[in-house]
Amino acid sequence: MWQARQREPGVPASSDLRVVLPVDVALHARPAGAFVKTALGFQSRIAVSTDGKIADAKSILAVLALGAVGGTELQLTAEGDDALEAIEALATCVRNLSE
Amino acid sequence: MVGIVLVSHSVELARGLADLTSQVAGAGVRIEPAGGAPGGALGTNSDSVREAIARADCGDGVVVLADLGSAVLTVRHVLEGRPNGHVRLVNAPFVEGAVAAAVMAAAGQSLDDVAGAAEGARGASKF
Repeated sequence: MWQARQREPGVPASSDLRVVLPVDVALHARPAGAFVKTALGFQSRIAVSTDGKIADAKSILAVLALGAVGGTELQLTAEGDDALEAIEALATCVRNLSE
Repeated sequence: MVGIVLVSHSVELARGLADLTSQVAGAGVRIEPAGGAPGGALGTNSDSVREAIARADCGDGVVVLADLGSAVLTVRHVLEGRPNGHVRLVNAPFVEGAVAAAVMAAAGQSLDDVAGAAEGARGASKF
């Protein structure tokens, strides 16, 4: 599941994880806002992708444009010093989203 | 937290957009509508813009979005004599810019970042 790369000096950590949206929660409006606000709490660059589309996890408009419906699998990818923490926090956020 | 002011020719448009952005960004963010001419007719109104800016200002700056043409002129008129950049009119699409700015503000980002997110909405695809 986790694919944390070994840290090397000067190389940012990267991490990715697949997580599934609760079946009754689309990544729109309030849930999307909660997701993006969580992402904005980290320094790492974070992407979220699904169904061949990729979005900057810190951009509400990009996340809304994914149009991810309930039950969709999201791939989270982060790169930076707090990549692991960011992915962990976002995965928890996604699992706990509610309408 | 950076505050946001929504200036529209329509009372309902400004209020509705404030409701929508609050739902996306969360209740904590300060989003103030300033819509309509005095009496509530379609138009804009310097006094209501000035009051909305005052309500939105928690000390970290205010981003102002305007819907069309003369709303921009009204905001510029209100901002004359306030050259320090603490209150910024952004060149942004009204709906997308407001939502982008509100989420950044709710996450505690700086005035530069909130204004940048609003203006960055010009190039955003809806789908």
